[in-house]
Amino acid sequence: MSQFTDVQVPRAETVSIVLTAPNQVKLSGTLTQKDPAQDLAGFFKALHNAALADKLSEVRADVSGLTFVNSSAIRLFVDWATWVKNERGERYTLRFVTSRNVTWQKTSFMALMSLAKEVLAVEHVT
Amino acid sequence: MEAAESPPSSQKLAPHPLVLMRFRPAWAYIDGIREFGRFFCQTTFGTRELADRACVVLQETLENAVKYSSSSPDSELELSIESDGSNIEFSVSSLPDASHLDQLRAEMNGLKTLDPEQAYLAAFIRASNEPESSARLGLARIRYEGGVELSMQEESGGRIRITATGKL
Repeated sequence: MSQFTDVQVPRAETVSIVLTAPNQVKLSGTLTQKDPAQDLAGFFKALHNAALADKLSEVRADVSGLTFVNSSAIRLFVDWATWVKNERGERYTLRFVTSRNVTWQKTSFMALMSLAKEVLAVEHVT
Repeated sequence: MEAAESPPSSQKLAPHPLVLMRFRPAWAYIDGIREFGRFFCQTTFGTRELADRACVVLQETLENAVKYSSSSPDSELELSIESDGSNIEFSVSSLPDASHLDQLRAEMNGLKTLDPEQAYLAAFIRASNEPESSARLGLARIRYEGGVELSMQEESGGRIRITATGKL
């Protein structure tokens, strides 16, 4: 049984979140609330822990529909990448699916790749 | 045609701003003002790229101004957008809580030591190394993703003005 797909998806006002078996999470909308960590930090941590428990080789985080975010939301992706990077045991590749047409994704995932390229992959759609 | 040099931050681009707004420092206004800025830049200058840059500059400067505003009745924010046809300038004036001012000065001085891309990467590394601290990615993001240079002026009455100037 997959722990990944059993993770409880939070309700967030401006973002839609869909979990798809076996290893994909898709976020669409915008993230500009004062503290997006309140809604999402625990969710991302739960996905990370579930991916380790399921021994997934890859997690796909599709953010291509996330049209605008603030820097507090970008911080959440930095944290997720850091958890994977710092994992001592078996770890997975965190693959971000991004859009070439969304400016924040081009700049931020380039920076994120330089931080943890050994555990990250960035795939471009559109 | 040669590109014009960016004017010094203290030099006003035009006698009258294209946009001038005053409002209470409330988080609830930021999304609306950012999207107005997107619409305004897209409509006035006709480029989506500039509209996207405007969104980053407005979101992050207004977030900082709102987060750290004093609770005084005089703490209203002022936003202006100006252009001389070659450059664009976004300027946000606020009355910050005094305890935040030293941190802001240090952050602005630190930014100047690195080029925009290096500064953004350095901010990511700092965020990764300090998971319990606040993100502090915003100012570096404004410079790199917004394609602007930042300056801070301290004005009378404890107000500060953060100005972001870049090419159109």
